[in-house]
Amino acid sequence: MPSSRRSIRPLPELLVNQIAAGEVVDRPASVVKELVENALDAGATRVTVRLEQGGIELVEVSDNGAGIAAEELPLALMPHATSKIAAAEDLDRIGTLGFRGEALASIGSVARVTIRSRTEAQHEAAEIACDGGETSVPRPASGPVGTTARVRNLFFNTPARRKFLRTVPTEQARCVDAARDLALAHPAVAFVVSTDGRTALDLPPGQTPRERALAALGTELADQVIEVSADEFDDARGATLWGLAGLPAIARATNQAQHVFLNGRPIRDKTVQHAIKEAYRGLIEPGRHPTCVLMIEMSPAAVDVNVHPAKVEVRFRDPSLVHTLVLRALRRALQSADLTPTIATARPTMLGPREIGPAATLADRLRHGPWPDSGAPIDYAATREALASAENGPVDGGRGSASGWPDAASIAEPKPQTPLPAPIPASRVLQVHNSYLVTQDAEGVVIVDQHALHERVMFEQLVARVSREPLERQRLLTPSVVPATPAQIARLPELAPLLSRIGVEAEAIGPEAIGVHAFPSFLFERGVDPVDLMSDLLERSNDFAPDSEEALRDVLDMMACKAAVKAGDRMSEGELAELLTLRDEVERSSNCPHGRPTSVRLTIRELERLFKRS
Amino acid sequence: MKVICDRAALLAAVNMASGVVATRTPRPQLTCIKLTARKSGKSADLTLTATDGEAALRLTVAQVDVQEPGEAVIPADKLRQIVSAEEGDPTLTIETEDDACHIRGQDARFKVFGFKPSEFPSIPDFEKIFAGKDGGKTAIFTHTSDGLSTMIGRTLFATARENSRYAVNGALLKREGKKLEMVATDGRRLALARQTLAQSDKDAAPITCIVPARTLGLMQRLMDEPEVPVRVAVTDSQILVAVGTPEDGGIRAALSSNLVEGAFPPYEEVIPRDQDKKVVFDRDVLSSAVRRAALLTNEESRGVRMKFKGSERQLELSSRAPEMGEAEVNVELSSYEGADLEIGFNPTFIVDALKVVSDPNVVMELKAHNKPGVVKSGNDFVYVVMPVNLQ
Repeated sequence: MPSSRRSIRPLPELLVNQIAAGEVVDRPASVVKELVENALDAGATRVTVRLEQGGIELVEVSDNGAGIAAEELPLALMPHATSKIAAAEDLDRIGTLGFRGEALASIGSVARVTIRSRTEAQHEAAEIACDGGETSVPRPASGPVGTTARVRNLFFNTPARRKFLRTVPTEQARCVDAARDLALAHPAVAFVVSTDGRTALDLPPGQTPRERALAALGTELADQVIEVSADEFDDARGATLWGLAGLPAIARATNQAQHVFLNGRPIRDKTVQHAIKEAYRGLIEPGRHPTCVLMIEMSPAAVDVNVHPAKVEVRFRDPSLVHTLVLRALRRALQSADLTPTIATARPTMLGPREIGPAATLADRLRHGPWPDSGAPIDYAATREALASAENGPVDGGRGSASGWPDAASIAEPKPQTPLPAPIPASRVLQVHNSYLVTQDAEGVVIVDQHALHERVMFEQLVARVSREPLERQRLLTPSVVPATPAQIARLPELAPLLSRIGVEAEAIGPEAIGVHAFPSFLFERGVDPVDLMSDLLERSNDFAPDSEEALRDVLDMMACKAAVKAGDRMSEGELAELLTLRDEVERSSNCPHGRPTSVRLTIRELERLFKRS
Repeated sequence: MKVICDRAALLAAVNMASGVVATRTPRPQLTCIKLTARKSGKSADLTLTATDGEAALRLTVAQVDVQEPGEAVIPADKLRQIVSAEEGDPTLTIETEDDACHIRGQDARFKVFGFKPSEFPSIPDFEKIFAGKDGGKTAIFTHTSDGLSTMIGRTLFATARENSRYAVNGALLKREGKKLEMVATDGRRLALARQTLAQSDKDAAPITCIVPARTLGLMQRLMDEPEVPVRVAVTDSQILVAVGTPEDGGIRAALSSNLVEGAFPPYEEVIPRDQDKKVVFDRDVLSSAVRRAALLTNEESRGVRMKFKGSERQLELSSRAPEMGEAEVNVELSSYEGADLEIGFNPTFIVDALKVVSDPNVVMELKAHNKPGVVKSGNDFVYVVMPVNLQ
């Protein structure tokens, strides 16, 4: 056999750096991230990011930070050279965003980089260039105090990598996202991001975290988010948190709108994501993801950020501490907030902030239709006008303004000067189509889905009851026979503890049937058929671990759903009043256990808008 | 048609007929009552007919003066409201004019638009069926109104509220020779009432059918006169009930209804025969004790705990609803045989049964905390009730 053996030899430095670059720098957005982090570590109060062709052509980050001394410039481009740590112990208390000393060298090996910098002490700036790994000597240049790093032609010498880049708009969006993430975490620092000469982000310095979050993510979110913060208890354990949590109504199809920061560094962490999901459980539909901005601060010693070259993943010394911190803070905020969604009366504009775009899922498209605004009224007037002008020249339709309708502003009544009278108590409730309850509160009209609300209320009562003791069970004269598969029958012993908690007693009675001997009293009173519930439960039992809390909640939810008032059930006045009273008493009554809203609100302001009174 | 009717008699009939008209239906005739005025020689009467498609009711009012025989079909709710509101009038005059109907009191006149009598759905020919001349396999028996009413009362409450896979919304009616039985169950309790017919042909066909709960309720309302013979006929798909006989001036009230299809659960094997504890107590004392103990139950904690202490001949009833409170009531037992026992029951189930037994001394037989309890009153009433497991 001919030998195909090749000898082992050390790789040239450039190749090492290019391989390393693959871990740190995989697209222009990583360049933006690394350079902006450097700027922030240098103590900048103003960071400017300039992008060309989505950053593929150029990423330029300028700051007004401390700068790099001319003699240190060559070192900056050397691998594992950094000012941020000096010894191994420093890894345990990393207070800067970067520390590995890899980034600039990595970038330098796959792009054409120039760095111009000046420290306070220097009279002039110095500039160094690195072209695919070949570093020039520093030469004098002119420039203010601070650093400007310019990265051109990313991956010009690694075509394979360049091939993997997406389209310019996609890469550009990712670059802006990377800068925005860092801007969120550093509200005191001014950020300006421009793409091909257009300003994409312009954030003033000295903002509060809230101001910054709204300025960066959209001020229209102001009434769609609630503030979240940790309490003294968490503080005492060395962790604190601040954030904004999006209302369930603005949940997204992906978790991309969850901005989580640890000590100012954007991270993606499973523990935190799970805690967020857990906090919103029952408030949003499964498959949707909450939106939030969370800033977690904890001692650098309590977390290992040196897990991943891009430092997106971190390792917490005590993951449960972080989980509890996030879960508790979010839950507290959500429970104290009014989560009733308002009815959007204003139609989103064509390019409105809807989730349609390359990232939109099929489900989103189905939900909203293929057009950004399928609900827009057809403008017949425009058609008429076009036809008229084609045939007879311009003709006045005789119907007022060009839109065919009188200008809304011209007929709007002046706003009443006196404040609205205080609303009367919600004593009168209207049941519509035996399905929805219409009532009012201080802000406007509240419409309640009777089944969803009743289900939620019953669910909470059941959870409370079962956490104290098992449900009372009524024995049957003869067992109710539930058809079952052999596999389901085999699972019965495993399900037994769960069944006993929910007041069901069942045993196999033959190869393909389960007999129910006892069933919760209250389900009988509510007319729930044991066979119905058990068939569903057996079917669902494949999906859960029978001894988990999740399984219990799942089953209780099933029971609540079956026992609750259905759409179409006529309710007496007493029942209506009772249900609405419970709405106020039960936590999370704004959404049914499946996460669908139980009520929506049409505010007085929206009514005024609808009636063109505003 | 023109009739002058006694208002009170008419109101009673209209009220009852209103219970059979349909409420939501695309056929407006099913929301109406058909009036038929007849006159032959000296006798005259007004017949009210109503049907919702499932059941049909025919009532005859004799307190009328028929001036002109004829028919009218008018909406039941309007007729009922008018007859009921004309309180000051001892009599009302009803006269037709095409499809409209004029109802006149002393100082009021109503014109109600109705429908053509020919468009009213047909109902069974009771006379023909009870005469055995309908040609089908019809089984007929005669019982007293009291007897039937009692049997219905002792079972109707135990019917399931709606048809489901584990119970039917109706009661089993069974006749074999002179033995008549009615059984109802909702899966958690079973009520069985027995009576003996005064007369029966030896070779009369046996009957086994399920009567809808609603029909049983209507039947009970028809049995308002005591000791009146009532005839019951059962066909393949219907039950028919007639009050009044040809000898006695004809059928005064008649009801027909579809039967519930399907099989009644096998009830004999549910009645336990090996109960080893026997309690005798005063019906009213126990009923009151259970009702008081039930004051502190709620939807999820329904059960009342019954602690039988044989040596002291005491029964301690208690209940507990989390976040609400507790109750305890003590009852002296007339007698107790067997070992001590603690068992839980839905209080409603116990009180329901105690309401329908006539004997002031009631026997309860028990076995174990997870086995059924049996309440008996003579041989006429057997009631099996399943316990609840208390925590």
